Amino acid sequence: MARAPDPDRDRHGWKWLLSAPALVVLVLAASGPLLIVAVYSFLSPGNMGGVAWEPSLEGWFKVFFSRDIFDPENVSWNTANLTVFWRTVWLSIQTTLICAVLGFPTAWFIATRPPHRRALWLFLITIPFWTNLLIRTFAIQELIRGTGMLNTVLLALHVIDEPLQLLYSNFAILLGMAYVFLPLMVLPLYAAMDKLDFRLVEAGYDLYASRWRVLWHVILPLVKPGFVAGSILVFIPSIGAYVTPRVLGGGRTMMLGNLIALQFGQGRNWPLGAALAMLLLILVTVALVVYLRAVNAEDEEKRHG
Amino acid sequence: MTPEIEITGLSKVFGQGAAAFRALTDIDLTVGTGEFFTLLGPSGCGKTTLLRMIAGFEAPTTGSLRINGDEVAGKGPNARPVNTVFQNYALFPHMTVAQNIGFGLKMLGRPRAEVDTTVAEMLRLVRMEAMAGRKPSEISGGQQQRVALARALAPRPRVLLLDEPLSALDLKLRKEMQSELKRLQSETGITFVFVTHDQEEALTMSDRIAVMSAGRILQLGTPHDIYHAPADRFVADFIGDTNFLTLPVIAVSGARATLTLPGGQTAEAILPDGVAPTPGQSVTAILRPEQAILTEPPGATLTATVRSAVFFGTDTHLHLTLGDGQPFVLRRQNTGDLPVPEPGSIVGLTLGPGVLRVVRD
Repeated sequence: MARAPDPDRDRHGWKWLLSAPALVVLVLAASGPLLIVAVYSFLSPGNMGGVAWEPSLEGWFKVFFSRDIFDPENVSWNTANLTVFWRTVWLSIQTTLICAVLGFPTAWFIATRPPHRRALWLFLITIPFWTNLLIRTFAIQELIRGTGMLNTVLLALHVIDEPLQLLYSNFAILLGMAYVFLPLMVLPLYAAMDKLDFRLVEAGYDLYASRWRVLWHVILPLVKPGFVAGSILVFIPSIGAYVTPRVLGGGRTMMLGNLIALQFGQGRNWPLGAALAMLLLILVTVALVVYLRAVNAEDEEKRHG
Repeated sequence: MTPEIEITGLSKVFGQGAAAFRALTDIDLTVGTGEFFTLLGPSGCGKTTLLRMIAGFEAPTTGSLRINGDEVAGKGPNARPVNTVFQNYALFPHMTVAQNIGFGLKMLGRPRAEVDTTVAEMLRLVRMEAMAGRKPSEISGGQQQRVALARALAPRPRVLLLDEPLSALDLKLRKEMQSELKRLQSETGITFVFVTHDQEEALTMSDRIAVMSAGRILQLGTPHDIYHAPADRFVADFIGDTNFLTLPVIAVSGARATLTLPGGQTAEAILPDGVAPTPGQSVTAILRPEQAILTEPPGATLTATVRSAVFFGTDTHLHLTLGDGQPFVLRRQNTGDLPVPEPGSIVGLTLGPGVLRVVRD
């Protein structure tokens, strides 16, 4: 009697080859360029930009330290770079928090509309994506600059006596990034709230919880996956932001993205730029791992606590 | 003694203008302390809306609602001494069984030791001690049901509201939970308001039943009253199986009427309050399938032709045609290995005294 074909055999056969196109794309489009950046960060800068194929740790060294121009042995912390790192991380954290605080009521508003209206509200949320980022950023610049709309109105109303210097500051960057990234927080939060069983909210009220306590003990824990996804979606592009700090922060208030661009441009120090880019990658990865660990640990604690 | 729940002139209208929908109309209802009270009706009759108004999830359009003597119309669900067991339990998925049960007490600000003691007591009451640390997703439907009950009972509400809590369970589990519910009610002494569309569940569990249809209470009474003296045709049809016979009236005396049965014999029927037919008029009379007794045709009150017989084990249902062509279903208790009448054969029926009843159409 012939044996029935072993189903496991097929599973271990050549089927993985079907994923070959995806693997090729992953290697060429994701790992390849990354590998080039990693390699460049360990080379020497070329005279006219580019890299010279001489192994060197100078790029990585300059990320953190600077040498005195006249006395190369005199090494000190590169405070300019460190300031940029700190500003980048701090502004990104603030952006994420602002987006969370503004995004929650926005998403809640949409999720509690009648189903046929929600699509319209979601559509409105995504409308800014239809316009070029640069143009939207210039529009914000136009709003808050010295002779811009905000100052003109406030001056006319005699709220202020002289124009507020808002542009080219951390505040301007924060405003721009929160505006640009807010939809990235709203959409995953909405997705989480859409799945929220509103009977659980009723059950909370029924069991003597006030509105705030229902929010705290029932709604927030249940939409936490939305916050986690939204935070990641906002934090990561914030850390690598380029256009917003460039336009609203001016040349002085740089973020990491601008610093990297500078090294590949006027700085003509590709290895330093590559090292900074790798650092950015490491920062994001570490931040992600720490964040997700913290979130999971909290879940575990609640479970056994 | 103050009644637990007093509802007077309660109405609820959803929406406005042309889209307005009247969910409840002029509900008057009193539920006594410690009573097992059931709201029974088909889906869309307003029973769940009424329950949600007692819970505080819906505000009445007009009327008053008192719980233990206090007007609660303006109070939210968290300010009422009432807890709900939701249809799909609505257990908090991010909390353990014990945390779910303790939630209400925690929100009431009870000391931790008291919360722990009560949770342990509740776990014992619903026999779920072993599951205290599990998440709701890790226990079965019947167990979730018990946890939902324990969670609602833990704060010791004056009234427990149950919104079709057994509808998601299979038949065997449902029977088990029915007796479990009765046990919990007698052990805790809490007033239960139970919503169901299952008439059997209502009959077996309730002290009193309110039968609802289209936003109104059609009849309010004990299961016995509702089964044996239904207020109208709808109630008679909804509760149990009923034969409706259209019969002419010969004479009326007080609360009784003499009707002519198919075949010419007469029988006395009970008239409901406010129904006074005139002789010659036809009325609708009801007769439950088990209230007619199968006999030999000679000397029987009625004769009928057997159309078909369905054997159920405990009883046999005979589908009959009466002399004037009206259909009739008779349920015969199988007290022994009785012969099943052949289709086409003629059988006799006798009626016990006082079983025939006229109902309002």
